[in-house]
Amino acid sequence: MIVRFGVGLWCLQSTASTPRGHVRAYREFLDDVRLADELGYDSLWLSEHHFYYDGYCPALLTAAAAGLAVSERLRVGTGMLLAPYQRPERIAAAAREIGQRFGGRLDVGVGMGYRDVEFDGKGISRGERVPRLLEAVRQLEESSADDTFAVLMGAQAPPGIARAGRLGHDILLSGALPLPVVRSLAETHHSAWIEGGRRRDRQPRVAALRNLWITSDAAEREAVLDWQRASYVLYQGLGWAVAESDAGAAMDFAGDAQQAIDTAVATTIIGPVGEVVDRLHEVADAGVDDVVLRISVEGAPQAAVHTVMRDFADGVFPVLAEPGSGR
Amino acid sequence: MRLGVTLTPGDEAATAVAAESLGVPFVHVTGAAATETAVAATVVVATASVRIVVGIAIGDENPVTLAEEIAVLDNLSNGRIAVLAELGDLAADDAVEDVTVLRAAWSGRAIAHQGKRWRVPARLDGHRAPSSVMVTPAPAQLQIPLWVAGTSAATVSASLSLPAVATTPGDVDRAAPVAPGRSPLVGDLDTDRQAVVDWAAAGATHLLCELGEAATLDTLVRWLLPEVAMVAFPRVVADAPLPASWPQRSAPGSGR
Repeated sequence: MIVRFGVGLWCLQSTASTPRGHVRAYREFLDDVRLADELGYDSLWLSEHHFYYDGYCPALLTAAAAGLAVSERLRVGTGMLLAPYQRPERIAAAAREIGQRFGGRLDVGVGMGYRDVEFDGKGISRGERVPRLLEAVRQLEESSADDTFAVLMGAQAPPGIARAGRLGHDILLSGALPLPVVRSLAETHHSAWIEGGRRRDRQPRVAALRNLWITSDAAEREAVLDWQRASYVLYQGLGWAVAESDAGAAMDFAGDAQQAIDTAVATTIIGPVGEVVDRLHEVADAGVDDVVLRISVEGAPQAAVHTVMRDFADGVFPVLAEPGSGR
Repeated sequence: MRLGVTLTPGDEAATAVAAESLGVPFVHVTGAAATETAVAATVVVATASVRIVVGIAIGDENPVTLAEEIAVLDNLSNGRIAVLAELGDLAADDAVEDVTVLRAAWSGRAIAHQGKRWRVPARLDGHRAPSSVMVTPAPAQLQIPLWVAGTSAATVSASLSLPAVATTPGDVDRAAPVAPGRSPLVGDLDTDRQAVVDWAAAGATHLLCELGEAATLDTLVRWLLPEVAMVAFPRVVADAPLPASWPQRSAPGSGR
């Protein structure tokens, strides 16, 4: 099994459960980028939302440029940049400028967005989201034709996954998806990739966020799972209703929030290094090429996140990481 | 009057670091439209204390999006950002609307703006959304300094009580609390010294200096900054030969 490892998902929030100043959030983000770079992680990922009380990062390319400027080898990715909210030419121009300045280390993951308040606040009809996304992808493809940056697509439901595959774009899957769903979506992506025929030069890559923590301590284990739960309560607050886009009732945060949260938390890979390695084999077997460790969870002190990043790099990279990448 | 430096495109971070180390109080980032805040982010992380005036093109992108990018920059920089809204040829009433939305987005108030160019929120059919929105995160500063430039700058300035950036000393509003200007420096000491003296005499408070090929940061900080930092600067201080370089000790303890 060969995989690359990234870390995620930096949202730069100050939440009701973990209040902190945003200046500190951004300072810690830069610290985290430097450490990920030093430890040899392949990538670090940012996430976007708008008009939310906790200041969830609304400007990913601005933040990504800062992260790239303090790193040397690390890729910095947007997981996901919500493309319909901006003019496509603006996204393409900014991505190209950043990609050129930082040796192509930018991964532009684009998603559609799902919150009505965000579409309404930006003056974009939700009904236009697919054509706007596709136009952004088209312009990003043009702008990155010489590999100035990479483009990938985010989706959690079969129609979006198939669309990405047909267009010949790699995907990044949510950390909340149970492994059987990941396997099914990876197969959907692969089939659509072949069917689309746009990229016959290489195989598709599937990246997936996975909730993960390395610990042998029972109390820390309980705390981690509780904070994972809290992190999904946040998404409940954001109105995340994946079932609306046909991903299955299990992930419907709007319908049965508690069940959805329990399902998401149950995906967590947690334990000592050996157990984590075993579970990562299962992730790879589900069709995942690149794992993005969802370890930047609100509530976890920065020191604890750094400890896990170090422990993972020391214990897992030598066993699983692709030579020359991921370390 | 305080002098700042407009950074050379492509080499912004290095010039900003040099300017900061020499005590230049502010630098000015000009990026191509859409790239301004990404470029400014590289200056932010390369520096620790210098204030950063970010020129940003107004007119094409939703001002809410521009405000969000600036708020992220302001938090990244621990509140070191000022904004120069480049209005270009935007008609005056259009520019007033865009700048109004931009400023409202940083205010901490919920926005409910229904204008000719922008509706925030848009209240579109089929959306389950509130009748106003709060733009987050808030900037780190209590208030982001906001200046305007472009053909309609005077109108916008008068309408919204914002400083307009003058391009000649004759355009400086001496009565305004803040009266910035922008001026090229040519690299000839007498010419440049006269230029900054003229701006200061006109009542400018801040001058964005565009360094021509022959103009250097060293000249700026040794002769021009002091020239306008007091009334009747004694030029002998700047003109006198520099003292010897401070000697380097050959090894720890060698001076004992």
